[in-house]
Amino acid sequence: MHAAREPAELLLAAAEGDQSAWDELVSRFGPRMWAVARACGLGPADAADAVQGAWLRLLQHLHTIREPAGVGAWLMTTVRREALQLLRKDRPLLAAAEVVDEPDPAAAVLEADDRRLLWKTVSALHEPCRSLLQLVANDLGNQQVASRLGLPVGSIGPTKSRCLDKLRTLISTQETAQ
Amino acid sequence: MINDEYFLAALRLSSGHDPIPRHVSATAREAFALRVPHALTAAPAECSAVRGVRDDDGSHLVRFVAAGLTFDLEVTEGDGLIDVAGLVSPYPGDDSLVDVRTPHMTLTRRIGPTGHFAVTGLPPGWISVVCHRPGLAPVQTTWVRIRP
Repeated sequence: MHAAREPAELLLAAAEGDQSAWDELVSRFGPRMWAVARACGLGPADAADAVQGAWLRLLQHLHTIREPAGVGAWLMTTVRREALQLLRKDRPLLAAAEVVDEPDPAAAVLEADDRRLLWKTVSALHEPCRSLLQLVANDLGNQQVASRLGLPVGSIGPTKSRCLDKLRTLISTQETAQ
Repeated sequence: MINDEYFLAALRLSSGHDPIPRHVSATAREAFALRVPHALTAAPAECSAVRGVRDDDGSHLVRFVAAGLTFDLEVTEGDGLIDVAGLVSPYPGDDSLVDVRTPHMTLTRRIGPTGHFAVTGLPPGWISVVCHRPGLAPVQTTWVRIRP
């Protein structure tokens, strides 16, 4: 069995025309990109559009990514920007691509190790945050979340924000302690 | 600070409730065929008078510039399809071609002696134009998204 190739190696190989390396990048990062686009609030069609745009952008920057090892964070940042642009109410008919120079360091939370830590931290939260974030993760809308938790629908958005703030604080504290 | 979107994405990903659809992955893999080796990339020009300007007839103008080559594209949407009228300047010479590409369709046109070219009936979505010049590196525009 071959050892999995590092992202930087895959990027270099893809830049040299290696379709299998490109396919491996798609397999490795595609699911996370989809999750980012959907987490931004896009429906399936727009999420597909945003993900596709990020891949097309990478295709034109195979040789110019500043940190090849960080191609995953570059893709997450790119798809998030595409998604947020799609969400703009005054979105133009013609949207030109914006090149990502500095990927968001925060995208690292999508790495498998960090995701495990994230869930561990979620499970340490008090109610209703623990249940609310689990329901949100399962793609339940505000109405359904409110019904499950016995909370007013109007309180779900603000409560979710507060829960995410708590989660952010706990994660930051853990990172500082390490 | 971690953006909420990355947190929520990480939670969604772990739940496994909303996996990436197969067709989205397939389209991403197929996109590799759109790679243009050794191409120079023309970025949108920082010219507010041209970029994204919308005319009264609903068309949009966008300019891309690289390596001494300028693409001026007029994009018009009608009946859910896209028409592109373009000008490559300076004239890249006889035997030059342009490919007007979407992820699923490429239309090739010879560039007229005035530098003009046109294609009609493209599906909305991502579009890029590549200019092939004999003896010189091809020049591609960045991808732009065109929505009805």
